[in-house]
Amino acid sequence: MAEANVRIDKKGNVHINKKNRIRRFGLADFILLFFLTLLGILILYPFYNTLLVSIVPNTVYLRYQGLMLWPPAITWEAYTFTFKSALIWYGFKNSIIITLGGTVYNMFLTILCAYALTKPVPGGKFIRFAIVFTMYFSGGLIPFYLLIKNLGLMDNLLSMILPTGINIMYMLIISNYFKSLPPSLEESAKIDGATDLRILWSIILPLSLPLLATFTLYYAVERWNEWYNAMLFVKSVENWPLQNVLRTIINDVNMMATQNIPGQAKPDIQGDSIKMSSIIITMAPIMCLYPFLQRYFLSGLTLGAVKE
Amino acid sequence: MTAQTVRPPRHSARRTLHRMWEYRWIYLMLLPCLAYFIVFKYAPMYGIQLAFKDYKLVGITASPWNNFEHFKYMMSEPQFLPALKNTLVISFYRILFGFPFPILLAIMINEVYMLRYKRLLQTIYTFPHFLTWVVMAGIMLNLLGSTGMVRKVAEVFSPGIGENWNLLYNKAIFRSILVVSDIWKEAGWGTIIYLAAITGIDQSLYEAATIDGCGRLQKIWYITLPGMINMIAIQFVLRVGAVMEGGFDQVFNLYKPPVYETGDILDTYIYRLSFVKSTGINLGFTTAVGLFKNVINFVLLMLANGVTRALGQETVL
Repeated sequence: MAEANVRIDKKGNVHINKKNRIRRFGLADFILLFFLTLLGILILYPFYNTLLVSIVPNTVYLRYQGLMLWPPAITWEAYTFTFKSALIWYGFKNSIIITLGGTVYNMFLTILCAYALTKPVPGGKFIRFAIVFTMYFSGGLIPFYLLIKNLGLMDNLLSMILPTGINIMYMLIISNYFKSLPPSLEESAKIDGATDLRILWSIILPLSLPLLATFTLYYAVERWNEWYNAMLFVKSVENWPLQNVLRTIINDVNMMATQNIPGQAKPDIQGDSIKMSSIIITMAPIMCLYPFLQRYFLSGLTLGAVKE
Repeated sequence: MTAQTVRPPRHSARRTLHRMWEYRWIYLMLLPCLAYFIVFKYAPMYGIQLAFKDYKLVGITASPWNNFEHFKYMMSEPQFLPALKNTLVISFYRILFGFPFPILLAIMINEVYMLRYKRLLQTIYTFPHFLTWVVMAGIMLNLLGSTGMVRKVAEVFSPGIGENWNLLYNKAIFRSILVVSDIWKEAGWGTIIYLAAITGIDQSLYEAATIDGCGRLQKIWYITLPGMINMIAIQFVLRVGAVMEGGFDQVFNLYKPPVYETGDILDTYIYRLSFVKSTGINLGFTTAVGLFKNVINFVLLMLANGVTRALGQETVL
């Protein structure tokens, strides 16, 4: 009986018998874990299958076509071939430039905007409204396209950096956080004659590092994942980020052969293996970082939810 | 945000200027941000007038007005109404199946008491969110395409389905593929906000329920779910508000001409008519379609915002 296991002491605290508090692993837990594990496997399996296809030799692939649980034989030929392609290196170079440049640009604008919006400046309410309004309404694809064209950014790496400056959601979360810091810190610095810029740099930012790290990471992932603006604005292969290189390889694997070093014959590997190796290579940076930075990856949204 | 009931005293122009001078550094900080918003967000809005003009190479301003021709043409354009219908139908399916999934998943994850395993599961579920649809579509092509594992399995059950059997070219199930793959990619990410809501539930409620002899399901039904209901309502309203967004990234990377009939959404339609169609590209018309979509979107989002505010949630606008 449950009641017998409960004791109330003189102070009025409720104690539940230890034996009852230990949750036994019942049938329900088993079913639950079974289902959740199965879901995890289902989510991961496509990635595993991609890896398999990318590492099996031609003969194996022709026989099984990806219907494998374990690779009967392994070859790295697809990877060697992919890495020899100039396309992949263009992609890496551009993606790294866009990620570094873009993230710095994003954080610069976001922090300035977030901090400025915490101040009761004349006209501040209107500015805030004007910023948030762009979350709800935009000019649409064609006016945006013509703008970039008129700015002369076509086929330029800047067309993949400049147009995505501030994620308003992130900016508002950071702004809320700045607002929640004790104002006394700022006031004392102000009395000592520090400018707002100085206060932001040496008081506010050091106090917000974990939060800023999270959003830096989000921005970095978004810039690494850039492909849409590149598809719209960038025509020459040399300026493509990795995702667009991958898109092209997936659509037409022969594109790689034509972009290769002259005289490089296509080896005896399936086009599919080459495609899958390109996918793994594109995923690799995120795949490698994700487990270690998972804490930061998963915290941002919650920060927003709790702060609101 | 604090509710200010007391009005600040009226400032004279001089006082305002003085205050502005006091905040000169703040304005300096705002300057690059405002420049960004003006150039990349507001300048394109100037281009919206193209929706009412015949676009000529002379430029946006110099193009002649055309008396709503584009909007009249829209209703008779053969692919427009199907694209609109697809957008709404796909969104409806996403709400019907994709929306409840993270809620159920969050409740289930919350019932796992082994903390390390719980974290491992969350890590796995959330991972695909950080990849692009370019990558995800490539992986799906490998699985579902004509050389994929799924075809190999299907061949066992129905021999002779042919070399070109390709699930991604099947217009009858393309929408299901969209919905399921969206769950695959985003459901784990969707649980985070619900798990945060569950964390906010007072633990003593569970203890009291245990004392009263409540079973696990009863606790879920009477404590966990009511604790999440506000968040669920808010998310639902926001989701419905975004019904005109069919998910360009996903559809664009997955669809091929054989499935245009069921898979073409407004965004892909606009893109195709603006950049892919070989003859008669009409940027004025596609601007008009974009405006049509954006206006409906805007109205829905405003309504959603109003409802969320009525539900007691602070909104940004």
